[in-house]
Amino acid sequence: MIEAHGLIKRYGPTTAVDDMTFTVQAGKVTGFLGPNGAGKSTTMRMIVGLDRPTSGTVTINGRPYAAHRAPLQEVGSLLDAKAVHTGRTARNHLLAMAATHGIARSRVDEVIEMTGLQTVADKRVGGFSLGMGQRLGIAAALLGDPQTLILDEPVNGLDPEGVLWVRTLVRYLAGQGRTVFLSSHLMSEMALTADHIIVVGRGKVLADATVTEIIAGAEGTSVRVRSPRSGELEDLLRRIGAQVASTADGELEVTGSTAPKIGEVAAAAGIALHELTPVRGSLEDAYLQLTADEVEYHSTAVGRPTDQPAAMAAITQGAAR
Amino acid sequence: MSAATMATADRTPGTRVPTTIVHRVSVPRVISSEWIKLRSLRSTWWTLALTVVVMAGISTLVAWGSSQGLDGEGPATMSVVTLITAGRGMAELTVAVLGVLLITGEYTTGQIRSSFAAVPARLSVLGAKALVLGAVVAVASVVGMGLAYLTTMPWHDRLDATLDLGDGETVRILTGLPLYLIGVALLALAIGALLRRTAGAMASVLGLLLVVETVFALVPLRFFELVSPFLPATAGQRLLMDADTMALLDATRDAAHLTPWQGYGVMLAWVAVLGAAAAVLLRRRDA
Repeated sequence: MIEAHGLIKRYGPTTAVDDMTFTVQAGKVTGFLGPNGAGKSTTMRMIVGLDRPTSGTVTINGRPYAAHRAPLQEVGSLLDAKAVHTGRTARNHLLAMAATHGIARSRVDEVIEMTGLQTVADKRVGGFSLGMGQRLGIAAALLGDPQTLILDEPVNGLDPEGVLWVRTLVRYLAGQGRTVFLSSHLMSEMALTADHIIVVGRGKVLADATVTEIIAGAEGTSVRVRSPRSGELEDLLRRIGAQVASTADGELEVTGSTAPKIGEVAAAAGIALHELTPVRGSLEDAYLQLTADEVEYHSTAVGRPTDQPAAMAAITQGAAR
Repeated sequence: MSAATMATADRTPGTRVPTTIVHRVSVPRVISSEWIKLRSLRSTWWTLALTVVVMAGISTLVAWGSSQGLDGEGPATMSVVTLITAGRGMAELTVAVLGVLLITGEYTTGQIRSSFAAVPARLSVLGAKALVLGAVVAVASVVGMGLAYLTTMPWHDRLDATLDLGDGETVRILTGLPLYLIGVALLALAIGALLRRTAGAMASVLGLLLVVETVFALVPLRFFELVSPFLPATAGQRLLMDADTMALLDATRDAAHLTPWQGYGVMLAWVAVLGAAAAVLLRRRDA
């Protein structure tokens, strides 16, 4: 279990991590989701003691990382695929890391095999592709057979086969009862691998909930209604406090109400409905809504709803549950 | 294991039994890790081989050159110790490069994050590096002197050069060269750990050895004269001087005259101070 309390990290005038408090529960895959520059990597580096927090504390299984006598047995981390000397072979890199914990050479062979590096293990890392570098980083993380794994953007730069491999590996490791904490700026990746998600933006925790709850928060934010008498229906719905926008001829986009309610209003007035569809949000919608105000660099909106406070509120409630 | 078997594994939280035997981090384990790191880089072998080669090469050139000037004159005397330590000036540069690269290579490649993730106490990493560096530099300098002895042998008779291992000064110089080169290498390691960048650290170390110390030694300003004996390499080199050379040098200067071991002590003090500063920053700074 990883517990962060009031983590703050400032670099001069920039605040990279702004008072983060969260818990990564044991035996689950927890996603750490946020746009680039949200403070994910900095937070992960603070967890394993590479960066010193400006204030706040973070513990792993009840102790700071550095207080563990055999840290590689507690936590395996892939923080940066490029955390390897380019002039050394993959095998020697792993042997050197293993030596610090008295880990046998046979375990080095094991993780090399597990990550499919057999053919390149004796080549120097400088010539590795991004994908091979990532595999080596994961091999290093697995060396101490740790209970907890921290993986920063593990699928970054991988080809489709590599992405599938990481996904399968993460599920496999979680299946063994390990705690996995992985970050990504790709929501779709999270939907496939994580049980629980911590959404961050500009150094703050925006949501901390299960995948289902987060999607639920974005669901039903609007209802699409088509009716030959849409004008009359619009007036009726306004009267019950819903926000209505006419999106096309005879079509309405209703927020602030639900499909059953709209159906009843229409039936009471004897208005025929041709369509009554709750517009289901995806995790992606929820994520975009959550982080809309938090991304550091905005691109020009291309027809996507960016400001939906209702969804935000729903998710925050979900997080509170 | 294949992807297929991974996919079919059932989730049974909390039931995993670790099978890999993992020990706690200890100083001997960190040393063995640093030894693996040191020997698994080509730059280590290049710089060490170069150290041995320049030592033997320069000694040979000095022996040959000295014998050339003797035509028709009586035999000049030159001690074997002077001959086989003649490559000191070049050897100190190659070991300095090794010392710098040992630590800056980790920072520039990102390796340092793997190293500190494995050993979060950090200080033992620097200590183990100093230890393995000192050991290989000692071996290389002894091998270099041995090889220099062999390659200069053809001229020993002509130069009337003898090696008397019963002579205290001879023994002091012979043990002094490895000690001096260890001092230079550790100084370079400390500066590398402080600056973290290869280019900056290399420029600082070589600038200190080649420019700063030379300027202080040669420019006849009172301040330079007073400070010069206490600069690390100038002080450390006292350990490699025979009594005649030292007397000759001291006669030209009205400043502190350190004994050989005092001089080496001053050099080690520099190593200790810079090493301590590096250690403090190593613990404080983000990796």
